[in-house]
Amino acid sequence: MNRIPAVSASNVCLQFGDVHAVKNVCFELEEGRFLTVLGPSGSGKTTLLRLIAGFQQPNKGEIFIKGQTVREVAPNKRSIGMVFQRLALFPHMTAAENVAFPLKMRRFDVRMIPDRVKKYLHLVRLEGLGGRRINELSGGQQQRVAIARALVFEPDLLLLDEPLAALDRKLREEMQLEFRRIQKELGVTTINVTHDQREALVVSDQIIVMDHGEIQQDATPLEIYRSPSNPFVANFVGVTNLFHGMLESLEGQKVAIRISQQRLIGTLKSEKLTLNQGVSVKAAVRAEQVRLFRGQSENRDCEVYFEGRVTDVIFEGERILYELSVAALSDALIRIIHHDQQDFSTFELGEVVFVGWKSRDMHVFVVD
Amino acid sequence: MRRNLSSYPLMWRLMDMLEAIFKKIWPKGGGFWSPYLMLSPAILLVGLLVLGLGYIGDASLRTLDTSTFLFSEEWSLTNYERALIEPFIRSVIWRSILGATIVTMITLLLAFPYTYVMVRTRSAFLRKFLLITLFLPFFIGQVVRAYGWLIILGKQGIVNDILGLVGIEPLRMLFNYPSVLFGLIQYMFPFAVLMLAPALTAIPEEIEAAAESLGASWVETMLHVIFPMAKSGMIGAGLVVLTLSLTDFAMPAILGGGTQDFVANAIYDQFFRTSDQGFGSSLAVLLIVIGSFLVWVVFVLVGAGTLAMGAKDK
Repeated sequence: MNRIPAVSASNVCLQFGDVHAVKNVCFELEEGRFLTVLGPSGSGKTTLLRLIAGFQQPNKGEIFIKGQTVREVAPNKRSIGMVFQRLALFPHMTAAENVAFPLKMRRFDVRMIPDRVKKYLHLVRLEGLGGRRINELSGGQQQRVAIARALVFEPDLLLLDEPLAALDRKLREEMQLEFRRIQKELGVTTINVTHDQREALVVSDQIIVMDHGEIQQDATPLEIYRSPSNPFVANFVGVTNLFHGMLESLEGQKVAIRISQQRLIGTLKSEKLTLNQGVSVKAAVRAEQVRLFRGQSENRDCEVYFEGRVTDVIFEGERILYELSVAALSDALIRIIHHDQQDFSTFELGEVVFVGWKSRDMHVFVVD
Repeated sequence: MRRNLSSYPLMWRLMDMLEAIFKKIWPKGGGFWSPYLMLSPAILLVGLLVLGLGYIGDASLRTLDTSTFLFSEEWSLTNYERALIEPFIRSVIWRSILGATIVTMITLLLAFPYTYVMVRTRSAFLRKFLLITLFLPFFIGQVVRAYGWLIILGKQGIVNDILGLVGIEPLRMLFNYPSVLFGLIQYMFPFAVLMLAPALTAIPEEIEAAAESLGASWVETMLHVIFPMAKSGMIGAGLVVLTLSLTDFAMPAILGGGTQDFVANAIYDQFFRTSDQGFGSSLAVLLIVIGSFLVWVVFVLVGAGTLAMGAKDK
């Protein structure tokens, strides 16, 4: 069965002078799915969202909504609800008037507007607060009004432009789950933009990682986390230790690399087309996959280990973040996330311990 | 440890010096009362004005005896009666009120799009151009500008010269009501723009994008979102233009040529031509009352706008 994707883009480019804000972006999003575009500021993720919303026109390429190109469709004629970064609620209207606004502008039947507004205020759990002015609502309640306003006219697509960025952590995490709940309840196709990797992993069915206007990886959250396709993704998602090195030999996916006179075994993640000895590579190990132990006898399954000195201990509650300086790797700093459910043993600042990982967990990428 | 002071930026050292001097002059400065003390020069300034107003109020209640040229000893409302009965004064008052109202409305109508473009344009050149065009007249002054209009619009002025080239008889464009209003609008325009600019700047562009994405056309966005949100700025600008043009002197005097007097011109005549300071004072008091009444009406109808200075509107 050949289904038409709810949203798709083919070779979308937008240039400002010499700067490529968005470059050759292609993706497909299935009906009812939650896509997050993840990237640092300046990666072009918000520009991509504005292109989809129609506030900007691509120089090249096409955007399709339900299989139809939207090049000639003005933003107010697209069936897209958008929640803006600073919410952009209308301060001179009440919460209910804000929610009713798109219904009036889109000429819905006047008799059904009050019921529809009520239904959506209920959906975002704001029943009874419709009469409040925007400045009489808390930050979280304002978020909810903005969501209701963007959804009340039942658009084909919901766009979220980092609306949670300004909230404090607790409220942000609460609203992330709230977005997820509402999205699942209505089944509305959603594109969310964020620089918060945790948010991306928590809420999405599909993640697109962007940098410098280009898509770095387009995959499920699990895949993005477990097998990043390049060093940028590896570094941007999760806490990752990156090493520069040189390729020595290759055997299947098993690769031997040299990092400051040390020979290490890792798993190759790049396409192996023409790999010569001596090409430079980047090796990435996730901080939670690095182990710490006091004596070699305690080593369980680390194929690679070094001696290192603890240079920083950061207690984060459910976990401890260590930073170690490893002499054998030219004093490279290695970050370790340490969960110890058993004996709450900790390592002291300045202590010399062993640090190691499995070769399976060291991902090696060829640098262009 | 002695720090090397010369390594600090000049501005910091200057500030340190000022602070040291201040400490010498007023060692106990910075206490609870000092902000109020700092208010005193301004209070004195306003206080003097109120004092003068008292004198005007007193003078307005004394009538001039034209045979002895002395003012009456006791108070009476004769001057006010005269002002409200005399047809000439009545027409001057109505002309001022009507003129100020028309000028306010047209100025706001013209200033809104100008300000909007100035605030929203992405072209730095256009913004600078609009700003310079706005500020240039400020450096010229009202009287010189009015004379400028005499040169341009006069019988032998530039406009009539050009009309003469295409065979049109010279038009009489000066010394009538429209020319006074025209001069006033041109004079008030920058004030209105400067009052409107902060109000429009305060409306994020995101709001307009939001309205658009929710289905509003450009006109609907203006009507339902931008105008209501700019309301307080419009009221502030309107009040400033209204009171300034109601009390204007130069434009009616120069562009009206004595035939289109506003209240300020009538007051001037009483003080400096007829030397009836009593009657002139009563006109001045009337002008204050009328102005305050108009402002009060606006306050009651639509609130104080930006002039409420953050106090709760309505």
